[in-house]
Amino acid sequence: MAGRANISVALTFLILGLLLALLFVLDILIGSTRLEASDVFRSLFGQGTAHGEIIVMQFRLPKAVTAVIAGAAMSVSGLLMQTLFRNPLAGPDVLGVSSGAGLGVALMILTLSPVFEFSSLNPLHGWSLIIAACAGAGAVMVIIMAVSARVRDIMTVLIIGILLASAISSVVSLLQYFSNESMLKTYVIWTMGNLGNLSPVQVRVLLAASSTGLIMAFMQVKPLNALLMGETFSRSVGVNMKRTRIALFASASILAGSVTAFCGPLAFIGIAVPHITRLLFSTSDHKVLVPGVILTGATVVLLSDIVSALPGGGHIIPVNTVTSLIGIPVVLWIIAGKNMMGRKI
Amino acid sequence: MRASGLTVFIAFFILSCGNRNTVGVGQKVDTGESSVTACRFTIETTGDINTVRILNPWQDTESTELVYYLLPRKMMLPDSLRERTVIRVPVERVVCMSTTHLAMLGALDATGTVVGISGTDLVYDPEIRSLIDSGVIPDVGYENNLDKELIVSLNPDLLIAYGVSPASAEYLRKLSEMGVTVMFDADYLEEHPLARCEWLKVFGLLTGKMEIADSIIGAVSRSYTELADSLKRMVTGRPRVLLGAPWEDVWYVPPSNSFAARLIEDAGGSYLFADLVTPNAVPFSMESVFSRATEAGVWLNPGSAISLGDIRQADYRLAQLPVFESGRVWNNNARVQRSGGNDYWESGVVHPDIILRDMASLLHPELFPGYSPVYYRILQ
Repeated sequence: MAGRANISVALTFLILGLLLALLFVLDILIGSTRLEASDVFRSLFGQGTAHGEIIVMQFRLPKAVTAVIAGAAMSVSGLLMQTLFRNPLAGPDVLGVSSGAGLGVALMILTLSPVFEFSSLNPLHGWSLIIAACAGAGAVMVIIMAVSARVRDIMTVLIIGILLASAISSVVSLLQYFSNESMLKTYVIWTMGNLGNLSPVQVRVLLAASSTGLIMAFMQVKPLNALLMGETFSRSVGVNMKRTRIALFASASILAGSVTAFCGPLAFIGIAVPHITRLLFSTSDHKVLVPGVILTGATVVLLSDIVSALPGGGHIIPVNTVTSLIGIPVVLWIIAGKNMMGRKI
Repeated sequence: MRASGLTVFIAFFILSCGNRNTVGVGQKVDTGESSVTACRFTIETTGDINTVRILNPWQDTESTELVYYLLPRKMMLPDSLRERTVIRVPVERVVCMSTTHLAMLGALDATGTVVGISGTDLVYDPEIRSLIDSGVIPDVGYENNLDKELIVSLNPDLLIAYGVSPASAEYLRKLSEMGVTVMFDADYLEEHPLARCEWLKVFGLLTGKMEIADSIIGAVSRSYTELADSLKRMVTGRPRVLLGAPWEDVWYVPPSNSFAARLIEDAGGSYLFADLVTPNAVPFSMESVFSRATEAGVWLNPGSAISLGDIRQADYRLAQLPVFESGRVWNNNARVQRSGGNDYWESGVVHPDIILRDMASLLHPELFPGYSPVYYRILQ
């Protein structure tokens, strides 16, 4: 039996990997401007027209790479939170990372915009919004970790996290209330998520931060599996709960925080992808789930990015709306199907 | 572009708007070949009473009409107008919600009527600025954040507002209930620069300075039309013009029937998105605008950038556009106050002829030797 299960897991990995590769190529082929497939491939190898090379190497490739990183990082962050809190509805939002980043951005836009007349092009863009988002997410992360070190019951931490996120949302609403149209527009566009605006240096920084978070997640696979049996069990098998919590919080925050800082709050991915992955692999073993979630998350975000360019004629839909509008029905369909067969998630 | 049925419908409405109002009491401005008519208001005079109708004072509406009856101060109020919006003219105490209103009043030498302003930071006019700085003219707040008590205590004859959506009317409803007379102005929705300037007529009626208003409109439209006509004759090649700047990865492209695009055509340029006809700016992906922008010879109005470095910092890819490398990038923020007020959006509304001359001198420097633009600066 175990052998057959291993084969099915390996097969799922293989299919997911191939799908990911296929979508990655498709994402580079399909853009909002028309470019022949042959020109795209030539451009990838430095043989294309000057225009084609700029479009492929500076628009589509960084965007596709960002989609893969963002999908993987947000999904793993969600998986860690779901296991730690033993709650299927947990996700990176529980950490207050998204709302913290939003607060940083909102503060930046509101407090500094009168100085620079905030609109589309100004000195505040580029790194400044990223730094603001990082600072906001980091501050919230530190608060949650401090609480978690003092509070024994994980459910209390969850409640405090949710309350903190609500409080931050209220502050952001207040800031929005006092801001003018162009500030609101800047903020709203940030909240819609954006994969295509990163410079090569920013992609590298995002990759480095996410890789750190992912390596930390892989190092926690054993405690994660123990946590599935409850904290008491984990302690009995020698898991240092305090250290594990801090490691999981740090890893999840780095993953979600860096993605949110660079791409805006990507809705839904963190909560939904771990569920899709558990169903695909029919397992709760984190040795399988962590890499599985990385592949599934990257695939889902790539697919969303392809769909967002589908309207044609140079128009795009914000990727955040695509992930929610397409992803949620898919998850509902999977959950409904599984529940009818008498299985719980 | 795949336009939805609704977009086509709205576009059709906007385009047909000009025809509809010439049938009414059109305020025609003779511009030689074609006549320009402000699309969003009509004036009807019956004895001492002027009836001003504002048509569709905000975007995405097609059947909203606001009617104001302008009565001399001493005239008895006729019974038939008891339930109507009556404005006693000339107005003496005005609250302005937009800097264009200040420019209109300023052009008519009626700045003294201003008792309150929404968004004082955005004011450019040095005279008004000093009144703001010395606390004579207060800031009344904006949108849903209006200081209604302050407005009422200023005891204004009139509050001139502008509407972005029906919601704008809603947040001013309370003020009307508190006894403040509110009038909507839709100059910013006019697509022709001369039509915007023509709103001076409404302000002329309000301040009792109709003659000044008419003479300004006449002079400005003559100067505009003469320049546009001579450019049409003299210009040999029309440089392709890129307009605006992206917000992150989205570029809201103004349609060819917009104010800015119209100025480009009249100034002897060729707008990159001449084929785009919609009521509002349309979101395009950076990738697609970038592809088209490689043909651009001149880049105008790149957001609030004041240097080429600002553009490079916002998106490094924009620095690879040939137009960026050629350095022919100009922004309309040559006259900006430290707090952010940009005169292009203020006095520019009553000087479309100067804006046109500025733009023509950027597109065809050979025709304007020694001319230095008023509202535009080159980015370095």
